[in-house]
Amino acid sequence: MKLLFHRITRALLISALFVIAATITTHAQDPRIRLAHLDHLATKASETVDVNIDERLIQLAAKLFNDKDEDEAKIKKLVNGLKGIYVKSFEFDDENAYSPADVDSIRSQLKEPAWSRLVNVTSKRDGIVEVYLALNGPDVLGLAVLSAEPKELTIVNIVGPVDLEKLAKLEGNLGIPDLGIQPGKHKTKNEQ
Amino acid sequence: MKRSATRKLVIGLLAVTLWSTISFAKGDDFNSVVKMIEEFYNVKHEGLPFLAKAAMKAVGVGAKIKGGDAKRFAEAGSIKLATFENQEFKGDFIKFRQVLNDSLTQTWMPLIQTLAAPDHEQCYIFVRENGDKFRVLVVTIEPHDATVVQATVSPKNLALLMKDPEEGAKAITQEATIVDQE
Repeated sequence: MKLLFHRITRALLISALFVIAATITTHAQDPRIRLAHLDHLATKASETVDVNIDERLIQLAAKLFNDKDEDEAKIKKLVNGLKGIYVKSFEFDDENAYSPADVDSIRSQLKEPAWSRLVNVTSKRDGIVEVYLALNGPDVLGLAVLSAEPKELTIVNIVGPVDLEKLAKLEGNLGIPDLGIQPGKHKTKNEQ
Repeated sequence: MKRSATRKLVIGLLAVTLWSTISFAKGDDFNSVVKMIEEFYNVKHEGLPFLAKAAMKAVGVGAKIKGGDAKRFAEAGSIKLATFENQEFKGDFIKFRQVLNDSLTQTWMPLIQTLAAPDHEQCYIFVRENGDKFRVLVVTIEPHDATVVQATVSPKNLALLMKDPEEGAKAITQEATIVDQE
């Protein structure tokens, strides 16, 4: 009886460890970045835009949009396979309204090995534009763009299989601002 | 035997209560948002006179969105509108946004939210499935005016709204508030 009790306890412990390990792995590979902590900037910004197109809405769009209709087909093709599009953008009247710590709070979430920064990405915009890909082997799990201009801070987070060409097509649509990103030959930092 | 019947009765009552709570939350969000604005900002909405409602006309509003050719954005007869005019909308808009999102995100999907701190302007667009169409809830708050619009839109018009949410929200609000004076 005592032996049976020990075996059951051990089996339960191993199962619990598996669940914890799986949760940690999933979390580490989650390409959704946290943006809510930047909400304090909304009180200083002349305009704040928050776009939340989550998986439920993308699935609805994919289910109901008609391939024969030009508008619906275009959106359907762009969002196909995506699990979320999230944008947070702040425009300020004055410079230095956001702090380097605000920018670092985003960068700190985009660290290797889960994220790789794309190099040689150019943008028509002034200031810093950084593009990161969340990779799992050859699969792209998501993308993040950090655009920090003197009077503007924009973060775009796309969850799902996406590349720079798709991002360029999405710019100006679905609430994603025109970031002026030039799709071309680019490499991740690791590929250099 | 008696205990089993009582248990069934309690479970039945709980199921009915739960079902009616969910139905109420889904069906009456428009009114609860209007009430929420009234309570948060201490304002009162105005009902539109019957004749003005009957004369409501919107032509070519959907077409204002780039690439759009729809004559009307909302499905006929689907618009619910509440307006607040010449009142003060002063208050913590970050807190209001939190309260609004907390109450709606169980049944609605937030699409886009814009805030402009200097004038305390706010615009919120929520979407949810409604059979083979979509229901859209647009809340616009300005320093002295506000509107709450709920409308049913076709997948095609939701595609237009998703392409350009800010223009789409303006178009829906405009469509709901245009009153033919002729």
